[in-house]
Amino acid sequence: MNLVLLLSPILIPTVGALVLMMLDAFQKEDGGLAMPTALLHFTAAAMALALWQRGVPSDTSALHGFLAIDKTSLFLDATIALGGGIASLLAGGYLAEHKLDRGEYYPLIAFSTAGAMLLVSASDMLMLFLGLETMSLGVYAMTGFRRGSPRSAEASLKYFLLGSFAAALMLFGSALLYAVTGHTDYAGIAEVLHAAPANAAADAAAAIQVVTRSRISILAMLLIVIAMAFKVGAVPFHMWTPDAYEGAPTSTMAYMSSVVKAAAFGAFARVMLAVYGDAASAGSAAGWPAMLAWVAVATMTVGNLVALTQTSVKRMLAYSSIAHAGYVLLGVIAAPREGTGTTAYASVLFYLLAYTVSNMGAVGALILAGRRGAESVSYDDLAGYARRHPAAGFAMTLFLLSLTGVPPTVGFFAKFYVIRATLDAGYTALALIAVVNSAVSAYYYLGVLVKMYMRDPAPGAALASPMRSGYVTVAILTAAVFVVWMGVMPERWLDLAREAVGAATAAAPSAATAGGNAAP
Amino acid sequence: MIITLGHYLALSSVLFTIGAAGFLYRRNALVALMSIELMLNAVNLTLVAANRWLPAVQGDAGTVSPPAPSGHVFAFFVIAVAAAEAAVGLAIVLSFYRLRKTVRTDAADMLRG
Amino acid sequence: MNDASQLSLTQSYGPIFMIVAFSLFIAVTMFTLASLLGPKNPTPEKAIPYECGSESTGAAHVKQSVKFYLTAILFVVFDIEAIFLYPWAVLFQRLGVTGLVEMLVFLTVLTAALVYCWKKGALEWQT
Repeated sequence: MNLVLLLSPILIPTVGALVLMMLDAFQKEDGGLAMPTALLHFTAAAMALALWQRGVPSDTSALHGFLAIDKTSLFLDATIALGGGIASLLAGGYLAEHKLDRGEYYPLIAFSTAGAMLLVSASDMLMLFLGLETMSLGVYAMTGFRRGSPRSAEASLKYFLLGSFAAALMLFGSALLYAVTGHTDYAGIAEVLHAAPANAAADAAAAIQVVTRSRISILAMLLIVIAMAFKVGAVPFHMWTPDAYEGAPTSTMAYMSSVVKAAAFGAFARVMLAVYGDAASAGSAAGWPAMLAWVAVATMTVGNLVALTQTSVKRMLAYSSIAHAGYVLLGVIAAPREGTGTTAYASVLFYLLAYTVSNMGAVGALILAGRRGAESVSYDDLAGYARRHPAAGFAMTLFLLSLTGVPPTVGFFAKFYVIRATLDAGYTALALIAVVNSAVSAYYYLGVLVKMYMRDPAPGAALASPMRSGYVTVAILTAAVFVVWMGVMPERWLDLAREAVGAATAAAPSAATAGGNAAP
Repeated sequence: MIITLGHYLALSSVLFTIGAAGFLYRRNALVALMSIELMLNAVNLTLVAANRWLPAVQGDAGTVSPPAPSGHVFAFFVIAVAAAEAAVGLAIVLSFYRLRKTVRTDAADMLRG
Repeated sequence: MNDASQLSLTQSYGPIFMIVAFSLFIAVTMFTLASLLGPKNPTPEKAIPYECGSESTGAAHVKQSVKFYLTAILFVVFDIEAIFLYPWAVLFQRLGVTGLVEMLVFLTVLTAALVYCWKKGALEWQT
């Protein structure tokens, strides 16, 4: 029973997906599954919160170290479920409007959500892999969901090939770690890796010399970092992102850019901190934070600069999601720092939630602006839109301001906390680059606003007008509530995120301290 | 000459590299899929070989039990997931082929900018 | 350390090398002898692909119906899932009721997938 309770946030979407599958198979005509799917996701989010309130059961032995169900994973579970719920609502409006409403989409979303939750809860390489693949396989199919469209097929082909390649890299990394440590769980791997060399040499069990072990473990780390960089869309492994986002149905794009990104970052931060989070491999100049710092700089800069040149709003949002991955990386880089690291980790969680709701909202507003046969994707499509339809235009404005980072929206505080954490960790140059990048990004976000409020559509061009869908309206309102709520009382939400990682730091790096104790 | 874990690691690294090179240099989606499968098989080889070389577990009362078969189990999961991945992948390649009449990845050039 | 790892390369793989060498020898000898001794008298009739003695028809590459692909993929997926049954069957006694329940859950999920394929018409040959 304890096991069922612990796993309930993951079990709800899993069982729900099976039920949705049966509903889809047995119902006479397509449609009508969006609401059950959304409710399923919101129930999972509520369950995660209930478990949080009740206190996570301290006896997690039933999980056998495969999953870490703690407040960190519950926070991310709730983020993922909230994002998945909003995405289901968006899909309900979008797919029906564009004559794509086949029932398969909803079980796929639910399965992907279950995989995403598994991914953020994983504390074992096997679970990391299973979660990653469960999530990704669903999203590949959702990307190619517009079966008659060559662009959709191309997007899913690119996403699938590069995603599977990344998964194989990650797997080889974990297999190498298993070969040198004999463990697949994060704690076990960390314990062996961080054991003092003298200890390990005396260990009769050591089948491989200590030097080789540390070299192979660094190779494994590189493989895992590259795979995760692929998944979160960090430069130089971002090339699939804009294509996959642009070709995918817009509701899938909402899911991919928010939920998948949040899950991948959650897993990324956890695996790096739990396996390579000690002072030896994270503190020195040659450690992974220094390496990731370069990745973060490249990701922010390339994402923002290329976003400047886009004429399609959808593609601009894709590049902006790359840029945002760069900002989140800042928090991940600062997270292993002793003392200030916890707040940095909390700022990552805060950012992921903030980005999920802001980006969901922005994509939702873009979906709202497109009718059948006339999807608004380019800047020109939106000319004068906000003057003709003030409410829909205002929704778009709110979310774009949040993505830009204008107070009092949540986007401002997300960036502020991450940059503050970067400064606290002593990476002044990184923080400066982030601020400059943020300023650059204002140009292309505000470009949409200028088009919407100040430009007239070209004579004879089709006028964008919002579609009518209760689903999309509810989705946008939900996202807007969070954007405003979190923007008005950011400290309250940051405290929640802090509480989330506080629990994790108490439980997870015990292996690292054990290794440290063994050193003298 | 004694075959050690190192030999297996070397072999699987070579296999993995061949797979990765095939993925990066070949322009046929089906070959890319096969390359990914090769990479996964290199992973399986590593896992199974590493499990074979794990030391036995020394119990409390001097008992010796074989190491946990986690590497073998991991390999099982990799195989099962690889099958699912291949199914999804082939479906995607097929739908691409239906629309474009080719499986060349350099034909996937509609999305640019 | 395990016994096998103590064996030298020749000890553990010697028989395999012998089989490989022997079969290579046989194959090479056969082909060499055949090309040296056999009479060569090619005619157009002999050059066409052999098709059970009857006249060959159509191109060598036949387009397979996509129906085969669908069935094959379903077969592969369901077949591979069976690998989880073998370890369970071997350890059936030790895993006891817990193992049985877990396997039943697993099989229920598989059955759900099968029912889904069935209802969606993926198992129909005539479509």
